[in-house]
Amino acid sequence: MNLLVFAAGVLATVGAYLVTRRIFLRFRYPLLNPVFLSTLAIIAALKLTGGTLADYQPAKETMTFLLGPATVALALPLYKNRSVLRNHALPVFAGVVAGCLATIAAVLVAGRVAGLSRGVLISLGPKSVTVPIAVEISRIAGGEPTLTAAFVVATGMIGSILGPTLLSALKVENPVARGLALGTVSHGQGTAVALLEGETAGAMGGVAMVIAAVVTALITPFYLPLFLP
Amino acid sequence: MRKAMALITQFLEIAWQTLLLWLVFRLGSFLVAWLHLSLPGNVAGMLLLFALFCTGIVKPAWIDAGGGFLLKHFAFFFIPISVGLMAFGPLMRQSGLTLLAILVLSAAVGVLVTGLSVQLLHGRSSR
Repeated sequence: MNLLVFAAGVLATVGAYLVTRRIFLRFRYPLLNPVFLSTLAIIAALKLTGGTLADYQPAKETMTFLLGPATVALALPLYKNRSVLRNHALPVFAGVVAGCLATIAAVLVAGRVAGLSRGVLISLGPKSVTVPIAVEISRIAGGEPTLTAAFVVATGMIGSILGPTLLSALKVENPVARGLALGTVSHGQGTAVALLEGETAGAMGGVAMVIAAVVTALITPFYLPLFLP
Repeated sequence: MRKAMALITQFLEIAWQTLLLWLVFRLGSFLVAWLHLSLPGNVAGMLLLFALFCTGIVKPAWIDAGGGFLLKHFAFFFIPISVGLMAFGPLMRQSGLTLLAILVLSAAVGVLVTGLSVQLLHGRSSR
């Protein structure tokens, strides 16, 4: 019986991913994000069958086992784009660091004004960083990793919908600037949108996503507490 | 038959390279625990791998197939994590819209600051 529940969890997740990925690749619209759609589908399936999170837990643990090695593999695109890093060192570092500081300050100040609890505020801090790293930053800082994951996915969709329009409205046409802004704020999803704009913007997005993750991990222990109640 | 062999070879290559990546991940996790750093182990592992590439100790080709496969399906791993959101139904019902507004605002601020500052710096440095 347990094995059956486990198999159902894995099959449903893989199936939902394969189907929603197809949908996304066909329409390429950020709201059709595969993680967002699959998560909704699985939560709905659990509710309908009377399943609980505890039932899904063994399947989750097995499926996320390879997330550590996958995250380490982010060194691959960073290394392949190392010429970008060398040729645009100042704009890359200055732009990404400024963006990280600004977006973290904005989310925490707005969150405090809205009266959110300390735990939710900590979980919001790393929301612009790719999921596996954001989840770890949140856990170390004392937040709720699951909430952080949801905030990260939401931020990815928001940034990839609003980002290009906002950048154009501000007359930011330089592909280096556009790619860095999208990758810094909206990690992988922002990078995917930057890639659609062109090769330079895409490479910049990929580099920005990784640098933003490292910068956020390094500054959070000192920077986050400044904004907490 | 030949096709099946090629598939098996490809699978083994990905599996073996994933094992290498897993070892670097464990090493990174071990290092941060040992040095009492408040840095995620996966970040340490990634920086370690980047350093190994730069020094030429590890060649990117050694992990290209495994790493490429894992990164192609990176988003898959986020699904089981996000399902945990089920436990936060009350929070989402109560503050969902507030949270959405806050996330929109801070994304806009981040895009604005990075976009404008890079355009300013890049415009200067390229001339």
